[in-house]
Formats: sequence, C-alpha cells, structure tokens
Amino acid sequence: MKNKTLFLIISVYLSNNLSSQTYNNLWIPDTLSGVNFSLTIKDTIKQLRPGNQTITGSVNNNFWGPTLFFNKGDVVHLNVKNKLNDSTTIHWHGMHLPAVMDGGPHQVIPPGTLWQPYWKVSNNAGTYWYHPHLHEMTLEHLTKGIGGFIIVRDPIESSLALPRKYGIDDIPLVLTSRRYDANNQFVTTNTAYGDYMLSNGTPSAQINLPKQYVRLRILNAEVERGYDLGFSDNRIFYIIANDGGLLNSPIAVTRVKLMVGERVEIMVNLGSDQIGSSLNLMAYNSGQTFGFPGSEPGTNGAFGSLLNNINFNVLHINVIASTNNPIISVPASLTSNSYYTSANATVTRTINITNGNPGPNPIPFNFDNTSFAIGTINKTVNLNDIEKWTIINNNVFGHTFHIHDVEFKIVDRNGSPTGVGSHESGWKDVIYVPRNESVSFVAKFDDYADATHPFMYHCHFSNHEDEGMMGQFIVTNTITTVNENIINENEFMLYPNPAKNILNVSFDKSYMQAYYIRIINSSGKTLMMLPKPNLENGIDINGLKSGTYFLQLTDDKNKLTNTKKFIKE
Amino acid sequence: MYSRNYFFTLISFIGFLLIIKAQEPINKLLHNKFINDFKLKNFDNSIISLSNYKEAKGFIIVFTCNHCPFAKLYSKRFNALNSKYKKLGVPLIAINSMDTLIYEEENFEGLKIKAIIEKFNFPYLSDASQETGKNFGALFTPQAFVIWKEENKWIIKYNGAIDNNAEHPDKAKSYISEAVDQILNHNLVLNPKTDSFGCKIFYRN
Repeated sequence: MKNKTLFLIISVYLSNNLSSQTYNNLWIPDTLSGVNFSLTIKDTIKQLRPGNQTITGSVNNNFWGPTLFFNKGDVVHLNVKNKLNDSTTIHWHGMHLPAVMDGGPHQVIPPGTLWQPYWKVSNNAGTYWYHPHLHEMTLEHLTKGIGGFIIVRDPIESSLALPRKYGIDDIPLVLTSRRYDANNQFVTTNTAYGDYMLSNGTPSAQINLPKQYVRLRILNAEVERGYDLGFSDNRIFYIIANDGGLLNSPIAVTRVKLMVGERVEIMVNLGSDQIGSSLNLMAYNSGQTFGFPGSEPGTNGAFGSLLNNINFNVLHINVIASTNNPIISVPASLTSNSYYTSANATVTRTINITNGNPGPNPIPFNFDNTSFAIGTINKTVNLNDIEKWTIINNNVFGHTFHIHDVEFKIVDRNGSPTGVGSHESGWKDVIYVPRNESVSFVAKFDDYADATHPFMYHCHFSNHEDEGMMGQFIVTNTITTVNENIINENEFMLYPNPAKNILNVSFDKSYMQAYYIRIINSSGKTLMMLPKPNLENGIDINGLKSGTYFLQLTDDKNKLTNTKKFIKE
Repeated sequence: MYSRNYFFTLISFIGFLLIIKAQEPINKLLHNKFINDFKLKNFDNSIISLSNYKEAKGFIIVFTCNHCPFAKLYSKRFNALNSKYKKLGVPLIAINSMDTLIYEEENFEGLKIKAIIEKFNFPYLSDASQETGKNFGALFTPQAFVIWKEENKWIIKYNGAIDNNAEHPDKAKSYISEAVDQILNHNLVLNPKTDSFGCKIFYRN
C-alpha cells in the first residue's frame, strides 16, 4: 500500500514536470500608421531570463519596434531620434527611395540627433523591415534589438480575400536567437549563433490563433542562422509573398528555407483543428548539408550553439474559436507581376564571394577580393538600366546577398532557369547563395539617381557585413549638367532671425534646392539632419532649446556647402 | 626515512614560497590599484575632494550619469547605501564622467536637476574633463568602486556592479554592501571584481 502511494506521488510529480513547458505570450508589435512616423531609438532593459534584466535596445519599446503601415503612393515622413548611447543608422530594408534617405552606413545619426528622411512609397504591398546599418556596429545594434516591420498596403493586395486582422489572423513574426553571459547580457563577440530562440523578442513564445486560415509574415533577423520552416505535423502551407510582395499565385509547400534578411508570407489552415489543440511552427535544421548556416556541429564556441543541427520550436500555436468573417480558402490567383528576364538586361555583372577561409591570418569574407571601404564606389549604374548580376560562391560557406534600392527577379541558379524554386519566384531583395553555387538576378535601377550618396550591396550576415563583405554602387544620370557660375551658387538667407517656431530658407536663385541641411549647435553638435528637405513651409525648430545655431546647407546642383548662423528664441 | 621526510618538507616549503610569490602579482592586480584624489564640482557648486572627509575610512564611489536608463534604476539604492555606511565611516560619492559634448543632457545643469529631483543625500560630482573616470578605469554607468585608506593612499578594494538585479532591489544581492561589511570586519573581500555593464562611457582622447 505504501509503495503504491509512493509510486502515485512520484508519477504525478514526474508527469507535471515532464509535460509542462511554460510558454510566454508572443509580443505583437504596436503599430504606427498615416504619413508621419516618430521613432525613438533608445537603450532600455527587458526581463528575458530569471535574475538580472538584459540590457537591450529598441525603437519606442523595450525590444524591437513598432510595425509601420505604409500605403503605396503616399509620401511618408520619418522622424528618427537617436537616444542611444552611440551613433547608429536606420536602413529601410527593401524600400525603393533616394540614396540619401536610405539609412545605410553614410547616413550616420549621432546620439541625441533627429534625422528626417521622407520618400514616396512605390513598393508593392508586402512585408519589409527597418534595422541599423552602422559599419562595424551592425551586429551589435541588431543584437540589442533595434529594428521593426514595415507593412505596405496597396489596392491589389487589399482587394484579395486574405487574412488582414493584425494580431488576430495576420501575424508579424521576427525570428532570432541569443546567447547570454553569466549576468544575462547578450554576448556579441565570437558567436555566430544564439542558444535560445526569441520570437518577436519573446522567449518560448506561444500564440492563440483562430480555427481558420491565418497569415504569418515571417522575418529572419538572425546574425547567420537560416531556418528550414515547417509545422510539427508537416502540414501543407501556402507561400503567398516573397521579400518584395505577392507571388502571382500561392505555392503549396511543407517546408520553406528562410535565410537572414528574407521575409516570407504564408497562409496555413487551422480550420480542421480542434479548438484547444496545439501545433508548433518549427525549424527543421537537423541534417542540412554543410554550408547551411546553423548546421555546424558543436553546442558552443564561435560556430556552435544549443540550436545548431537540431529541430526546434519557433512558435507554439493554440487553436481557439474562429473570428467573424474568417478566411476559409486561399485565392487561386494573387496578382500579375511583370518580371524582368535575362534578355531584358543590357548590362551584366559578376560578383565573386571570396576569402573567409579558416586558418592562420584569415582574410574576412569579402567580394572580389576587395573588402568594404567607405570612400570607394565599386559599381556605377546608369539610371533606368536593367542589369543582370551573377553572384558566384566558390567559397567555404553559404551566404545571403542583399542589394539596396531595388527588388529583383531571380533568373537562374547555377546557370539554369529551372534551378530557381517556385517558392522564390517573386520579387526579392535578399537571396541565399549556397556553398558551391551561383545565382543570377535581374533588376531595373529606376527613378533615383545620386552621384554623391551610394547604395549598398552586402552579405546580410551582420558579422560578415561588419568585417567588410559589402560594396557600394551609385546610380547616375548620364545627362551631364553644365556648371555655370559655381561661385556663390549656394547663397541663401535665413528668416526670421531670431526665430521661434519656424525658420525659413530663401535662395538667391529660384531653381536652387537644398540637397542636405544640418542644424548644428554652438558646441559643434549636429542636432537635426534633413535630407532633401521641402522648405515651402520652413523648418520646424520647436524642438531646439534657445541659443545660437548654425544651419549648414548643401545645394542640390553643385553639392557645395555654406553655413549661416541663426538664433532660436 | 628521516632524510626522506626532511627532503619532502623542504620541497613543499620551497613550492609554497613559489606559489606565494606567483600570487603576488595577481593580488596586486586586484587590490593594489592606487587612486588619485580629485577636486570636482558638486551639484550645489561646492568643490569636493576625498581629503575633505577627515573621518572617512573608505568610500563607495559610483560612476553614474543622467541619461542612462540602467543607471537611473539605482538612485534610491545610492541613497540607501549612503544612509547606512556614511555613519560607519564609508560615505558614498557619485561621479558623472560622461562626455558632455556628445550628450548635452550630461552637462552641469542636467546634473543639478537630477540630484535635486531624485533627492540625492550624497555629493554628485561633475567630472567634465573625464580625468577621474580614466583614473579609476570606469567603463560603464553604473559602475561602483569601494576604496579604502591604507598608509595615506586610496586603494581599490572592490570594482564592479552594485548588485545583481537592476529592476528588483528586493531580490538583489548587493555586492557593494558585502564588500564594505567584509572590510569593516577586517576580512578579505571575497568578491573583489564583478562584471559591470550599462551605458558605455566614451572617453575623448
């Protein structure tokens, strides 16, 4: 009798402890909409593990940032205030815009400075993102948690019967992982792969989803790791969008590889599941061929981790009652994209992935044996040209290749169009280049030319990027301007002076425009960065304290800089 | 047998001496860093030096600042530490060594405002030249040091974090209290160095 009781006690204890896995509710980022967006980048803390809090970085929150909703065709204005302890940049990943608004390594925002880029949204409806891009600091800033989603809406996508209730049946999901030190702080040196998953910054995340078709917008924001995504019961799901928007029609799959920087939108049916039942979205990362990032053996060190070479959970899903007007089917057709083909390209370029080999005195990974130099323009593209770029990877490892400014169409893998997967047949801005393979894409470089500020192309593994696996290209207008009267071309006047709320700029010549305006205080610190400002209604200087300031203006035509003093009352 | 014992004892003794000698440099690293006195302006405009405190046996020196969200969590704990230890001969002094050019918030005005609003019961000194921060080797805010007077010199006895839980003081193990209590009881500081982290102090060179 005693033995039986003991047995009962032990089995109850064991079953409680074996079956229970504590989950945390998936954080759904807050949203910002309209045409004016205020983002404050800041140092903050978050309780991620028992004990000490982890120092994190965030936009407006305590890890990650708000989802920005843009409408295609709107001109959006961003007010980006850097309240970090360090300089940073914010790059609008996937956005087609002028180079000076891009937020790459050249648009450095010092601490305490406000940057005000703006552009007309011309991207198709899709899931994009924003993240830091300061050279040599991208890994550290991204690891802190700085970043966020951008969701673009357009009439084509809005007319489709797709899940669109944000946080209910339309879920943004950013996947990454972290390694912690003994004080619960993120480890950022000598580690390519984290040991513990963070989904939307939530450890061991779970979500309640309704018994109907749901949409997941998934982003890989890791340092290096790729995810071979699928569900715990291997059910079919549908890919409806790539990085740059909707596919022409949904693609049915049971697995999809999502590599660093890529986004994928999927629809999965929970309509046949019991309310109260659960399933997992998983990374089936075991048994991948060498070169797949995260397949290396070893549970620690620079290239090992607790999540390497295993299958692991990225989101626990609990099925609840369906919503009113649920989506119960997948549209057969989504949109009609007009893709470019190899034949359209008038310029072809080849980029070789080089170095990064292990051994004594290794040269970090780079392109064409040339590491990134901030003053070097690697390629010059003519405005409106359609170009075909081939990336060749006869290198020790796989990489993801990302290009700024444009969305491209993958036209071949290893020289063959049939090598391109249907799951990656849409517009993309990031492409996985596996070990010993090559890939070609075609893009048109239209709308924006700037001979001064370049766009970037780089491996999106932030450790490789920080170590120099990056290059720059400018898009130039081949029409050359005739320079008349370079002297005093950039004469301008500030009024009223002193000014209280609005400072106006008037130019001597009516055709003059400002390429860049910086407002600097009397200690020499830049407080406001205004690329290509629209000066019709003046500059809002309400955020400045009273005192003496300098307005530094670079004119658009000749890129000459002139400075004038003004007083803020 | 007698000679074997003697031989063994001799070897052990020599070994013991060698070990002691080898440990000396390590001990020097941890304990014997001397600190220069300073002359810094307090938020109430008075000038403060360590030599002002004739009765003090030692000090708790914390490097903090105005804008760092991590350091901001510790204000009440600084007051508590000073209340407890000042009367035992170990006052607390806070120092701001941040670069005031890059962070306008860290200027003297900001320092004064913070000390008044948060009702600091201890001096909050402006190290605008960053010389004191460099002398201590302060890397982050907040970072704490316990210094003790030995033979008319100030020696670092503890360097690191204040405690191990920023958001929940009730759950925190206070490294500073432990170190000061150990020294006051004439014991070795068992944990002389812990990791400090927070906002990095950038030094203008």
